[in-house]
Amino acid sequence: MTHLSDIGTWVAALLTLFALSFLYKDNPLFRFTESLFAGVSLGYYVGTTLNQTLVPNLIHPLTHDFNQNWDLLVPGLLGLLLYMRYLPKGGWIARYALAIYVAYYIGLDFTRRLHGEVLPQLARAIVPLSKFDAHTIFYSLVFAAGVFSVLIYFFFSKEQDRVTRGIARVGIYFLMVSFGAAFGFTVMGRVALLIGRLNFLILDWIYPLVGIK
Amino acid sequence: MAPFVDRLLNLDRRWLFLLVFAGVAVPIIMPMGLPVTTTASTRSAFEYIEALKPGDCVLISYDYGPSSAPENDPMAEGIMRQCFMKRIRVVICALYALGGLQLANNSLAKVSAEFPNLKYGVDYVNLGFKDGPAAVMKRMGDDIVGAFPTDVRGTPLAQIPMMKGVRSLRQVSVVVTVATGLIGEYWITQAHPQSGVPIIVGPTAVGAPKYYAYLNAGQLVGMLSGMKGAAEYEKLLAGRYPELGRFYKTTHAFTATKGMDAQTVIHFIIILFILIGNAAYMSQRAARRKAAAR
Repeated sequence: MTHLSDIGTWVAALLTLFALSFLYKDNPLFRFTESLFAGVSLGYYVGTTLNQTLVPNLIHPLTHDFNQNWDLLVPGLLGLLLYMRYLPKGGWIARYALAIYVAYYIGLDFTRRLHGEVLPQLARAIVPLSKFDAHTIFYSLVFAAGVFSVLIYFFFSKEQDRVTRGIARVGIYFLMVSFGAAFGFTVMGRVALLIGRLNFLILDWIYPLVGIK
Repeated sequence: MAPFVDRLLNLDRRWLFLLVFAGVAVPIIMPMGLPVTTTASTRSAFEYIEALKPGDCVLISYDYGPSSAPENDPMAEGIMRQCFMKRIRVVICALYALGGLQLANNSLAKVSAEFPNLKYGVDYVNLGFKDGPAAVMKRMGDDIVGAFPTDVRGTPLAQIPMMKGVRSLRQVSVVVTVATGLIGEYWITQAHPQSGVPIIVGPTAVGAPKYYAYLNAGQLVGMLSGMKGAAEYEKLLAGRYPELGRFYKTTHAFTATKGMDAQTVIHFIIILFILIGNAAYMSQRAARRKAAAR
């Protein structure tokens, strides 16, 4: 088991170095790693979906208690129909399954967006200022100014005049601040990935190799 | 001055990569122990779980993959440790296809080994992975068994003691979604309005800005933003539970607190080079204008 995990560590360490080698310049080792990653990811996805979703939710209920679960044949069949697109003359059959799939997700997403996003965000944007202290009032005013000016910036149905152009310009400043914050977070996220990889290389690979515990 | 500025602006970017590499490697080899300050969103997540009672149920959803594990692993493990310390029942699931299940298995194996008195099926359970997160959440809102007929080992949920009182998300005290991509949003915008279950989100730093809108609108009870949020949580845990404080100080394994040393060094390097780059650019532009005026 120890030998197996050692081999795993070596493989992971070498693949990490191959992937990082792109920073020096493009090379065959990087492209090999890239292709291997894509292939392994796909294989993992298929295997996990088969074992964790299809077997317990479809195949096992159908094979063990068909009378109670015969209705599962309908979604099972719809899933199979999706693959009809690969038949030279049967492509049109897949459209029916796809239409049901799309309709289901439109229905799900429509209510999700409305109840989970639009209404709560709108409710937060309209708050009575009389209930708050000075700090919260200031914060709410900045918030309202940001929402209003950015909405004006993205209002394209009417040509902007001098006033709306000025408000839209304020909206641009709000957007720039939000892009700056997003960029800062993105840098932090990408650096975190490098930290994770170097932690692995140093603590799990190099240290045991040179005998440091 | 001008030749130096030109050289600076035409510097081979691989030197910068090397500097960034050294900036990350050195703090890992020689940890600096830089201080971590906590933010309100992390404190509120911590206090929410802290206020739960033994026997309450927390669902931790592994909605991320290995590509963001350095940020997300410490969050999931920190919250799991807190729940185990308080004897809160933990239900684990994974809705991210590319590696979520493997990470959930690894985390659970690692943290449960630190609490040998807790039993699988009584104190915690792993439901495994299910594809189609939006549909799975919709089903879990009404009937968890409908979405996950068995746990990850293939045991029917009806035979698992701790799942007896947990029929739907309505019996769950809080959902913790440790997320990359869209799945965290689905928990907030779909599971929360449907079942009313409170949500704590632990996004990657890249995804964090969009979650502030949900936090601001009161749709979240707390949030851990990237590695910084995870380090804050570790600090809060260490402060409240001395045994966990000792663990975080002595463990040789990777922790977010250790990662923040490298983050700080790298941010310093990046800010320095932004300033140098802009100064060099402006100096070159001024020199050009001067030459044109002559």
